[in-house]
Amino acid sequence: MGLHLNLSLHKLPLTIAGLAFLAASSIANAGQSELGPKVTIPETSGEQCVLPAAEMRRRHPDLLKHDRIQTLREGLRAEKDGSPLAGSLKQCVNCHAIKSEDKYVRIDNDEHFCVSCHKYAAVSIDCFQCHRDIPEGSGNFHALTGSKQHYSNQVPGTYSLTIKDVANISPEVNSDDK
Amino acid sequence: MTNNFDEKLSESQDSEQAVESSRRNFIFGSVAAAGLTVAPGMMLYQTANARSLSDFSLNEKASSQVRWGMLVDTTKQVDWNKCVDACNKEHGLNNETHSRDDQKTQYIRVVDVKNKTTGYSMSLPVMCQHCESAPCVDVCPTGASMKRADGIVLVDRHRCIGCRYCMMACPYKARSFVHEVLTDQTENTPRGKGCVESCNMCVTRIDNGQLPACVEASEGAIIFGDLNDPQSDISQLLAKHGGKQIRADLKLNPGVHYQGI
Amino acid sequence: MKKLHFIEVEGNTKGFFAFLSLFGLISLIGILAAYYMEHNGHWVTGMNNQVIWGTPHVFAIFLIVAASGALNVASISSVFSKTAYKPLARLSGMLSIALLSGGLVVLLLDLGRPDRLIVAMTEFNFVSIFTWNIFLYTGFMGIVGVYLWTMMDRPYNNLTKKAGLTAFIWRLILTTGTGSIFGFLISREAYDSALLAPMFIIMSFSFGLAFFLLVLMGSYKYTQRELGDYIVNRLKNLLGVFVAAVLYFAIVYHVTNLYSAEHRDVTLFVLSGGGIYTFLFWVVQIFMGSLLPLFLLYSPSTQNRKMYSLASVLIILGGLAQLYVIIIGGQAYPMELFPGMEVSSSFYDGVVASYAPSLPEFLLGIGGIGVTLLIVTIAIAALKFLPISLADEIANPHSK
Repeated sequence: MGLHLNLSLHKLPLTIAGLAFLAASSIANAGQSELGPKVTIPETSGEQCVLPAAEMRRRHPDLLKHDRIQTLREGLRAEKDGSPLAGSLKQCVNCHAIKSEDKYVRIDNDEHFCVSCHKYAAVSIDCFQCHRDIPEGSGNFHALTGSKQHYSNQVPGTYSLTIKDVANISPEVNSDDK
Repeated sequence: MTNNFDEKLSESQDSEQAVESSRRNFIFGSVAAAGLTVAPGMMLYQTANARSLSDFSLNEKASSQVRWGMLVDTTKQVDWNKCVDACNKEHGLNNETHSRDDQKTQYIRVVDVKNKTTGYSMSLPVMCQHCESAPCVDVCPTGASMKRADGIVLVDRHRCIGCRYCMMACPYKARSFVHEVLTDQTENTPRGKGCVESCNMCVTRIDNGQLPACVEASEGAIIFGDLNDPQSDISQLLAKHGGKQIRADLKLNPGVHYQGI
Repeated sequence: MKKLHFIEVEGNTKGFFAFLSLFGLISLIGILAAYYMEHNGHWVTGMNNQVIWGTPHVFAIFLIVAASGALNVASISSVFSKTAYKPLARLSGMLSIALLSGGLVVLLLDLGRPDRLIVAMTEFNFVSIFTWNIFLYTGFMGIVGVYLWTMMDRPYNNLTKKAGLTAFIWRLILTTGTGSIFGFLISREAYDSALLAPMFIIMSFSFGLAFFLLVLMGSYKYTQRELGDYIVNRLKNLLGVFVAAVLYFAIVYHVTNLYSAEHRDVTLFVLSGGGIYTFLFWVVQIFMGSLLPLFLLYSPSTQNRKMYSLASVLIILGGLAQLYVIIIGGQAYPMELFPGMEVSSSFYDGVVASYAPSLPEFLLGIGGIGVTLLIVTIAIAALKFLPISLADEIANPHSK
């Protein structure tokens, strides 16, 4: 499905040249939909994003920036009700990852959700120089979910046990939740 | 309670539930075992009441009431390389394709120590020591190198400019610089070219109520816990048997303690 | 003393464009080298997780240290009221800004993430000496800029002394700050010394003046302006004193380190068993960079400008060698994880780290010198930095 993205130009940190180019092209688009650059917004797997799409387009950098500080520097990784933070890049990727021929599309591909729009808007992102670009367990590397058991320590007589674990398993704590 | 975040995630990820329950079983299993080995068993029970998990759940900030630490028992006959492997797997390390061996990242390494005079030798795992007065945090010009409220020292890669001054300052050589473009990182450990990185005590696992990967893999030779809580088993063990810090003379008060060095 | 006239260098000449192209090309090569390093990542360099700072840092710190020293001549004129140095004060101030710019370019282009320069300018950790240096460097440029203004704009001439004094104090703090980058590193035995900061100050005097003398003699030679012996002799005598002072500090530094058992091993490493570092120390730093220049500057048999130029070049090479030994040798020597024990690991604990500078690193460093000289070339053609003549009857305040 190819819908035309109505970019709010004033919010985007474009160069003046880029602005002029886009402005010209969107005027052209208004009259004749065949002209000018187009962007395809790919379909996603989730039912609903954290904000309506129009607002998301505008505010996603703020959300990401705000919550990365909370997550990394303060250790706050979920909302009070336990749901993921609105600005969790991990969640963005989980819902918005695009599959092509049964494989997730990576960041070096123009079809990647973030790339498709950012390329259109000529705004470079460096998130994925460090962050994983597709959902976990889907690449060559099988981390966490596949490997947890692998290095679970089940040797009898161990006491590699923390307070947290004890609290974790104590039934009374378990029961008063949910 | 367990993590409600985990639970929520499990709706979308079927495998998660199985893993979660297997982890619970493991802890139940080892608690019985722990009762035998950790003396006194009652202490464990008390501490369970002293701190509830809500202190450590995903939707709580890291607390300055807590100081996470580790106690490494080097007298245990453990293959420390298992810890290294677990760490590499957890953080997706060793995925460099161009870097020379001396340019590759190592969060945890096995150091062999030999006394020249007596011939006595031993091995121990060395990772970021999570110092209380961490030199890397002091020297970082942008505040990228930081210490969380609960004592975990880590790098905020959003701010790191790659000046490597923290690597110059660290007395433990705990830090590595990413010398090339990386792809296929793990979800929980973003890493990329031009930034400095180091052991972060598996901070996402801790926030998630799990033990650090090396602790899990250590067959009980590494104890993880709250150094601020006198009732925690790490504090109890330290109080009873003592422990040493590497380069304690530098007075950095590392969070990682060792026995048998 | 005749009246002093400053005038721009004629820019529309073949010679000027030749120099402009030469220095421009060197700068461009340096920048391309940096791009190559950044594009691929640092794996293409000799740097690694043991030798963290490499050749670019040697050049960068050399240029930054020399920048502060190049201001000496202006300080002697304004702060210590030596009128003989007054004609040189403008060039001295401008050269110090140019050297600092060249050094900072190298330092910034070697960052892992030079694209995040804005982060370094907006997020500060005031516990870090690096953060302080960011302010010291930018502040230095601003203060010396104002200082130059007061010298070159007649209505503000009366403020020159105050501006000069501020710049003088600022530069002492700046070099202390640069030296402290290393002095604050408790973890590395080679750096753990309070002597580093004053040693860096005296090194700045020597390297900066050597660079200044070369630029002065070079620019007067190629613009066919007259440069009398009076001024050259004063400067070269002063340079000799500074070289001797650096030598003295180097001796004290190593002897005190030999005396304390804690630092003995690393000092012996540099002085005898350190391979390339030992060679650089004895042959390049001590013999070529200190003793030979002293001979060239003072021996009656070598009293000509070619020899002074040679001496200045040798002092610069010796200075680079000295910084190479301090910066890279200090990192190559293994850190003491367990003092007194033998250690080994997969992470190169307990062994002398290997480091071989790669071509791009070296080109980036040279590029910094290119940037410095490019700025100097443009500046002397754009503004009135150089007196039209420094013949003895003009330069010597005691001549009739």
